[in-house]
Amino acid sequence: MKRAVIALLLSCFAAAAAPQANAPAASARSAQGGNTSPNPARPAVSPPPQMPAETPPAATPNSPIPGEVETQDALPQPSSAAQDLYESARGDLLQIRMLLKNGRTQSTVGSGFLVGTSNLALTNYHVVSQMALDPDVYTAEYIDTDGNTGPVELMAVDVLHDLAVVRVNRNGSGFFKVPEQAVKLRQGQPLYSLGNPLDLGFAISEGAYNGVLTRSFYDRLIFGGPINSGMSGGPSVTASGTVAGINVARRRDGESVSFLVPVAYAQELLRKVASQPAPPEDFNPLIGQQLLAHQSGMVDKLLEEPLTLKGMGPYLVPVRESGQVRCWGRSSVKRGAAFNTDAMSCVMQSAVFVSDSQQTGNVAMTHQYIRSGSMEPLRFAALASDLFKVENLGTGDARLTKPFCTERFVHTRTLPLRAVTCVRAYRNFEGLYNFTLLTASTDASQASLQSRLDVSGVSYENGLRVTRAFLGAFGRAGRR
Amino acid sequence: MDQQMRDHASAPSSTQAAMPPSVATGGPWTIETLARNGEVLQRQRVNTLPIRMGRAYDNDFIVDDDYAAPHHALVDAGPDGKLLLRDLGTRNGIVHNKRRVKELAMGGDTVVRMGHTTLRIRPASHPVPPELRDRTMHGWEGVVPGLAGILLTALCALLAAWLTDRNNLELQRYVQWPAAAIGVGLVWSGLWSFGNRLFGRRARLGRHYFIFGCGLATLLCVRLLATVVAYAWSLEWITGYASHAAVVTLAGMIYFHLATVTPQLRRRLRIVCAVLAVIVSILVLAGNQQQHGLMADELYMPVLLPPELRASPDAPVAEYINQVGAMKKEIDAERGGQ
Repeated sequence: MKRAVIALLLSCFAAAAAPQANAPAASARSAQGGNTSPNPARPAVSPPPQMPAETPPAATPNSPIPGEVETQDALPQPSSAAQDLYESARGDLLQIRMLLKNGRTQSTVGSGFLVGTSNLALTNYHVVSQMALDPDVYTAEYIDTDGNTGPVELMAVDVLHDLAVVRVNRNGSGFFKVPEQAVKLRQGQPLYSLGNPLDLGFAISEGAYNGVLTRSFYDRLIFGGPINSGMSGGPSVTASGTVAGINVARRRDGESVSFLVPVAYAQELLRKVASQPAPPEDFNPLIGQQLLAHQSGMVDKLLEEPLTLKGMGPYLVPVRESGQVRCWGRSSVKRGAAFNTDAMSCVMQSAVFVSDSQQTGNVAMTHQYIRSGSMEPLRFAALASDLFKVENLGTGDARLTKPFCTERFVHTRTLPLRAVTCVRAYRNFEGLYNFTLLTASTDASQASLQSRLDVSGVSYENGLRVTRAFLGAFGRAGRR
Repeated sequence: MDQQMRDHASAPSSTQAAMPPSVATGGPWTIETLARNGEVLQRQRVNTLPIRMGRAYDNDFIVDDDYAAPHHALVDAGPDGKLLLRDLGTRNGIVHNKRRVKELAMGGDTVVRMGHTTLRIRPASHPVPPELRDRTMHGWEGVVPGLAGILLTALCALLAAWLTDRNNLELQRYVQWPAAAIGVGLVWSGLWSFGNRLFGRRARLGRHYFIFGCGLATLLCVRLLATVVAYAWSLEWITGYASHAAVVTLAGMIYFHLATVTPQLRRRLRIVCAVLAVIVSILVLAGNQQQHGLMADELYMPVLLPPELRASPDAPVAEYINQVGAMKKEIDAERGGQ
C-alpha cells in the first residue's frame, strides 16, 4: 500500500517537472530571437496615413502583408544612372530611428536626408511623431550609410503635409539641393527615391513622376516607383540631385503607386526653422494649432457650396461630391427577402496622421435606406431599432473624453427625424472635438432612412456648422 | 436563519412566557430528537417515570448514537415535581448550553445533547401555538398552474421570435423559440421545486413554473411598455434605465419562488429581495458608469417605432442645434477635469 502511494507521488513529480524543464529552453530561444534581429514581418514605419483612405470602405483591399511579399522587390536592380547618383548621395542619407528612452530599443524607423551643407535634415512627421507627442518616452538617433550614429533633435513639424525638420551633429556635403523655387517637373521624368526600406539597408529605387494627386486634401506628387515603409522621409530627387519631393506613402492595393510631399512645403518649413530662435519645448500645442487650421480649411471646403441632395427611395439625403469627397454605393436587394437595404457612404480624403493609433480631420457620411413590403409595422420597428443601435462610438479611447450625447425628435422642412449627436473632446489638443450625428427617419412604418455623419478633429463651432448643414438638408420628395 | 427555524419548529417565544412550569405529573411524556435547525427528527412517547435512556436495548428510550453510553441518562421527577435529568457517569456526558452538566432540571424547551443526539422532553400539557391561517390556494397547484406557466412562456417566446424575425416567417423559428424557452423554464422551476422538496414537504413544480411564466411575461411587457411610452412622449430616460425595471421584476420573481418554498417567512423574504434588488441596481449603475461613463444603459435611445405611436411634437432643427451647442460646457469641464 505504502509503496503504491510513493510510486504514485513520484510519477506525479516527474510529470510536473517535465514541462518545467522545457520552459527555460523555450524562453531562452525567444529572447535570443528578439535580440539579434528585429521581427521582419513588422513594417518599419507604421502604414502611412493616406493609404487606407484611398480604398473604398465597402471593399477590403487585398494587400499583401508588408515584409512577406514585398521584401523580394524591395531592392530593385539599379541602373547605371542610379548607381552614380547613389554613390554621390549616400553620404547625406540618414536612417532615423525612434528609440524608447528606457532600454533604447527602436520602436519605428524611417529615413531622412541632410539639406545642402547644413546640419538640418528633412523627414516625415510620421517618422518622428512619437518623439513629438511623447518626448518623455521617446528619443531618436540617426545612422548614416557608414554606420555612424548620433542624436537627433526635433526642430519643427508640419503635421498637415507630414513633414519634420530635425537637427543632427554633422553637416551635409551639399548633394541634396532643396530649391528656393518650386521644381518644374514633366510627367514621365525619371525620379530616384532614396531611403532605407524595411530596415534592410540603404537603397535607391527608380521611377517616374506622374503628376499631382488632386483627390487628396493637400497636394501630393504621384511617383510611379516603389516606396516601401522605412523609406518614408527619404528624398526623391531628379538626376541632378534636386529634391522634388519627400517620400511619404504608397498605395497598398496598387503596384508601384507611391506619393511624395512636394518640396515646396519643405522649403516653407525650413524657412520657419531659420526664423525661430529655438525649437519649441512641447510640440503638442503646436500640433493642436495645425490641426485647428486644418479643420477650418476642411470644413470651409466641405461647406463652400450647399450639399448635394440625392434621392434614396422617397427621401432626399445630403452628400458632397467633389474632388476630395468620394462616395460608394451598395445594395442588398434580393428576391424574396423580407427587407431590402441600399447604402451609400462618402469619405472626404482629408485624414491627417497624428500618431500610429490616431488619425483625425476627416469627414465620413453614410446613408442607409431600409424598406420592407412584407414586414408588419411592429416587426419592422424592431428591425429598424436594431440597426439604429450603433455600438462603436469609440468609448474606451483614453485620448478622448467619454462621449456626450444629445438626442431629440426633430423636424426638418419636410421630414421628421430622430437625431442623436455624440461629441468627444481631444484630451491632448484643446479645442478639437469628434462629432457623430446619427439620424433616423420617423415618418413611415415600413421604411427607414438611417444616416451617420462622422466629423473628427474639428472645433466645436465647425462641428455644429456641419451638423446643422447636414441635418437640415434631409427631406422627403413628393408628398407632404 | 437557524434561530428563526428553531422558533418556528418549537412554540413561538411569546407563548413560552405564559407557559406554567412543567410538572412531573404531566405525563405521558414525549421525547423529541432534534435536527440542528430545530426540526423534530423523531418522537417517542413514554408513559411512566423514570425514563432510562441509552444505547442498550433495556432502555425506555433507545438513543441510536455511537457516542452515547449504553446507559447514558435517567429522567425522574425531582423533589420540586419537575423532571430531572441525571448523567449516569458516562464518558461524553450531557451538554446543555455548551456546558457539561451532571444533573439538569428539564423544562419543555430545555434542549440537551448527549453524544451527537440533541433532544428535549415535553409533557402532554405542553402548550402549542394556534394553527396558522391557510392562505395557500390549494386549487392552484399541480398541473393547472403548470400549464398556465408553460402557455405564458410559449406566448412570450413566440412574441419575441416574431419581433426579432428578419426573414419571411419560417416555421422552424416559431417551434424552436418556444421549445427553448419552455426548456429553460423547466430547468429554472425544476431547481426551485428541488429546493422546495428539500425545505418544504412538496415539490410544487406547477406553482414554480407558473411563477416563471408570469415573470417572463412581466419582463417582456415592462420592456415593451417602457419602449412605447418613451417613444411616444420623447421620454428617452425611460429606456435608459429600463434595466432596473427588469431587476425589480426578477427580484419579485425570486421573492415569489422563495415564498412558495417557505411561506412563513414572507416579511423577511420581502426585505431580503428588496435589498438584493437595490444591490444589483447599484451594480448595474456602476457597471454602466465604468463602461461608457454614463449611469444609463445606453448613450442614446435607439428605439424606432411606427409614426402612429408618436404623441409629442418634434423640435425644429435650430432648437436641436442649440441643445447640442449647450453640451460644450459639459464636455470642456470633463476634459479639464483630467
